[in-house]
Amino acid sequence: MKLFVSEGNPHCVKVLAAVELTGVKCDISHVNQDEQVVPHLSRPSLPALLLPSGLHLFIPNAICRYLFEVSGQEVSDQSNQWLEWEGTELQPPLMQALHMSALQGKGAEAAGTLQGPLSFLERSLNKRATQFLTSEEVTVADIVLWAALYPFLSDSSFMAGDLGQVRAWFERVGQLEACRSAAQAVLKGKGLEALKGYLQKQPVPHIQHRGAQPCN
Amino acid sequence: MALRELSSLEKSLGLKKPNKYSTQGDKKVPVLQSNNGPSLTGLVTIATHLVREANRPELLGSTAEQRAVVQQWLEYRVTKLDNCPKEEIKTILQDLNQYLEDKVYMAGDTFTLADTLMYYGIHRIMVDLAVQEKEKHANVSRWFDHVQHYPGVRHHLPLLVVLRNRLYTSGHH
Repeated sequence: MKLFVSEGNPHCVKVLAAVELTGVKCDISHVNQDEQVVPHLSRPSLPALLLPSGLHLFIPNAICRYLFEVSGQEVSDQSNQWLEWEGTELQPPLMQALHMSALQGKGAEAAGTLQGPLSFLERSLNKRATQFLTSEEVTVADIVLWAALYPFLSDSSFMAGDLGQVRAWFERVGQLEACRSAAQAVLKGKGLEALKGYLQKQPVPHIQHRGAQPCN
Repeated sequence: MALRELSSLEKSLGLKKPNKYSTQGDKKVPVLQSNNGPSLTGLVTIATHLVREANRPELLGSTAEQRAVVQQWLEYRVTKLDNCPKEEIKTILQDLNQYLEDKVYMAGDTFTLADTLMYYGIHRIMVDLAVQEKEKHANVSRWFDHVQHYPGVRHHLPLLVVLRNRLYTSGHH
């Protein structure tokens, strides 16, 4: 199996953390962010995992889920729910916030964009009785959410309302060596600055208006 | 919309007693209510749960690899296909057409939940596609036609004529 990642790409943090945490054997190949790895996609898409069958996984959460599954950790309904939330509810405002914060210097607006999903996470963590999102052990859900939020939550000056539970959970997950080294490999300790090159090449995130209509 | 999909899925899975659903937020995300446990939120999460409940694990893929591919297309459906900006539709069709070139179904040779949900999601795009566009994306059209004729899948959606040849060939038999 071969995992393709590129430096400064925020989506690579979660897959690198998942590889290290699960111990699944795969070659890690660092490529340029413009490299076409997945033959059937017209735009470069990283990270990507080349499966033994020759098929590619090109959606980061699907890669993480696969790594956990082959290491023998079945993904529960609750974890599934967090992965879907991350993809549909967190990623769109997150990409917008990264864009605003890293490229436009609008840190305060970025925090405002993230307030909704972050307070949802805060309320959910408040209600749960376990150390991590779905159990006493770290699951794929913790890794995926931790990595997604890393560029913002690793910055102690980031303010978006009362996030006591979120911060405590973020700290707990971040103590894992797998998480620390994945973040270091992608962001090189430079925070948002490290993501600029990647973000500049992405289309300006589609701003989702309330009650936005589907495209036709 | 998502609720109709879930009700069609329940029927095609042969689940006897219908579940209770509600929706959440502006985007009307489906929520499955449960008497004996926490509720579940999200189309993919609920659909996956229903398949397990119906004891049809093969619909989620029969190997770890196939399961990963199925989950990937389920996530693709809700993150890329749903609410895609108009100018993205071309790229999506082009990419899918390329992907489906050597495949019968989304996850290879067998029908899975990825076919059902991708079919439900792409139906509204196919409705508006001109004949030439359908011909240009022949692999997508072939797959779409295959899935809409797959037993028990179509339910709430109208049948679309996507392959002109289908009509002509049926006359020769």
